[in-house]
Amino acid sequence: MRQTVLPPRVALPAAGFGVAALVVLSLFVGTYDIAGDSFGAEMFFISRVPRTLALVLAGCAMAVSGLIMQLLTQNRFVEPSTTGTSEWAALGLLVTVLLAPAAPLLVRMVVASVAAFVGTMIFIGILRRISLRSSLVVPLIGIMLGAVVSAFTTYLAVSTNSLQMLGTWFMGSFTSIVRGRYEVLWVVAIVVFLVFLYADRITVAGLGRDIATSVGLDHTRVMLIGTGLVAVATGVTTVVVGFLPFLGLVVPNLVSMWRGDNARANLPWVCLGGVAIVIVCDIVGRVIRMPFEVPVSMILGVVGSAVFITLLLRMRARG
Amino acid sequence: MSTRLIRPLAAASVAAVLALTGCASGAAAPAEQAAATTVTVEDNHGSIEVPVAPERVVALDNTTFETLSEWGVKLVAAPKPLMYDLWPSLSGGDEVLDAGLHREPNIENILASEPDLIVGGYRFREIYDQLKEIQPATIETSPRDGEEHTSELKRQTAILGQVFDKNDEAAKLNADLDAAIADAKAAYDPSQTVMGLITSGGKISYAAPGEGRGVGHLFPTLGLTPALDRAAEDASHGDDISVEAIAAANPEWLFVLDRDAMFGEDGYVSAQELVENAEALKNVPAVQKGQIVYLDGSFYLDEGIQAYTKLYRSAAEAFAS
Repeated sequence: MRQTVLPPRVALPAAGFGVAALVVLSLFVGTYDIAGDSFGAEMFFISRVPRTLALVLAGCAMAVSGLIMQLLTQNRFVEPSTTGTSEWAALGLLVTVLLAPAAPLLVRMVVASVAAFVGTMIFIGILRRISLRSSLVVPLIGIMLGAVVSAFTTYLAVSTNSLQMLGTWFMGSFTSIVRGRYEVLWVVAIVVFLVFLYADRITVAGLGRDIATSVGLDHTRVMLIGTGLVAVATGVTTVVVGFLPFLGLVVPNLVSMWRGDNARANLPWVCLGGVAIVIVCDIVGRVIRMPFEVPVSMILGVVGSAVFITLLLRMRARG
Repeated sequence: MSTRLIRPLAAASVAAVLALTGCASGAAAPAEQAAATTVTVEDNHGSIEVPVAPERVVALDNTTFETLSEWGVKLVAAPKPLMYDLWPSLSGGDEVLDAGLHREPNIENILASEPDLIVGGYRFREIYDQLKEIQPATIETSPRDGEEHTSELKRQTAILGQVFDKNDEAAKLNADLDAAIADAKAAYDPSQTVMGLITSGGKISYAAPGEGRGVGHLFPTLGLTPALDRAAEDASHGDDISVEAIAAANPEWLFVLDRDAMFGEDGYVSAQELVENAEALKNVPAVQKGQIVYLDGSFYLDEGIQAYTKLYRSAAEAFAS
């Protein structure tokens, strides 16, 4: 992609402003007539504000997760849903619910995150052992791994009669986000902040183990920390809203095609992009079948797969 | 012919032989016992002759379980996972073979149970042809889509009454249903709006009037005024709806089907908690006045005439109070 006409110093605030406008729009789209009666103002804080905050946090989390995964694996087609990370988180969540039904949300999130971490490490472990690492083989392995894990999750759910619940849990949707149901998502804000602090090292790790080691970076440690951050972001998002497919794939790719691969400089863009796409998809989902909603994951799937194919074709064109 | 071809062919012929022997023994069994008594009934597929009060029955239709259990019918095979522990007299011990769940029916066990009669069910409609091969006396009586639901329930009960020689009992069940509906209709004030909800996995969905399970049928049967009248995209699981939209529709009455109630303990959030503790719904008249009817936990697995009778009775009681 060509450099934009806007100088970077102006571009970022301009984009920020655009996303802020989307956030405001999101606050004022919904079925309940906020200005209509006295309960409207309260409804605004019960339903609209939490939902919009959840959108911002989840959008940021998944886009940033995708960026980190892509740098760490040196592959552009990798993100939590193509590495099996989301599926592992789901398995972790189901296992907690089955073994300790009364466990609080925090425990569920911790277990989901740990499962996501273990799963991602298995994925990275497999990657290290294969010699063929063409850009498409890597996500294929991840998707296969994810399919195996989710088959096991489904088996567990079927044999415990909780398949129905499973479907509702992991359908990425913000419909049921109200005050009291989203607050734990703030954890991902901390994750994104840590990623900011750690961005340079992740960028260097993205150059490959040899180069990273020769410039004095503890590659394994960065790998572990990076994976850990992704696992927490994915685990928490999966527990609270479900799967948000393709977000981590589309946003970092668009950004790095345009701006190159400096993680620190790209991070604000990735965050803004993730938020913008999630909010737009959610608003579309809220509006097209009013008063019903179409889950955001469904719209993301459509948008995401279109962008994914475009990316593939462009990469082939460039060789 | 290569071996790759021979194997499936051999397997197919073994299956065919098995199916044939299944038919033969199935047809032979009633000949010893009650060959003289057969009855011709009209099931969902047309006219069919079946043995009266058959000895060896396989029932797959959840809408018939309560009735069969009440009438003391014994089964030789049943879809045990679908029955949960609601009908111990039907699902029984090891002597009752497991016919599996509709997603993964155990055809071999159905065959092995050598039934004289199979009561096919709407969840199992995809294997209807296979059931027919095992035992031609296979009937399907579940309420049909697009027909008036109450008369479908009564039609089903009447057919079962004929087959199991319980005509009087069937008539009683039908009369009870009619009475419950009449009571509910009489108690209902049409100026009060009603909304149907389905909860599952900690989320609330909307059940459209006239469709779906239980909740939807209330509207046309009782002539309820919907608080929000929109066709459903997903009739049996409900459509994704926000609490805002429920609050905006402002219903006077709520009918709530708690899908997970049956399977309980697995970290589930009850419908009551979801609806009554929702901040956004606290100003809705139904919540304020406590005008919420929760369907029986077993409803979603039962859906038979007794389940509906109970539902209409509870509607009548709620409307009257």
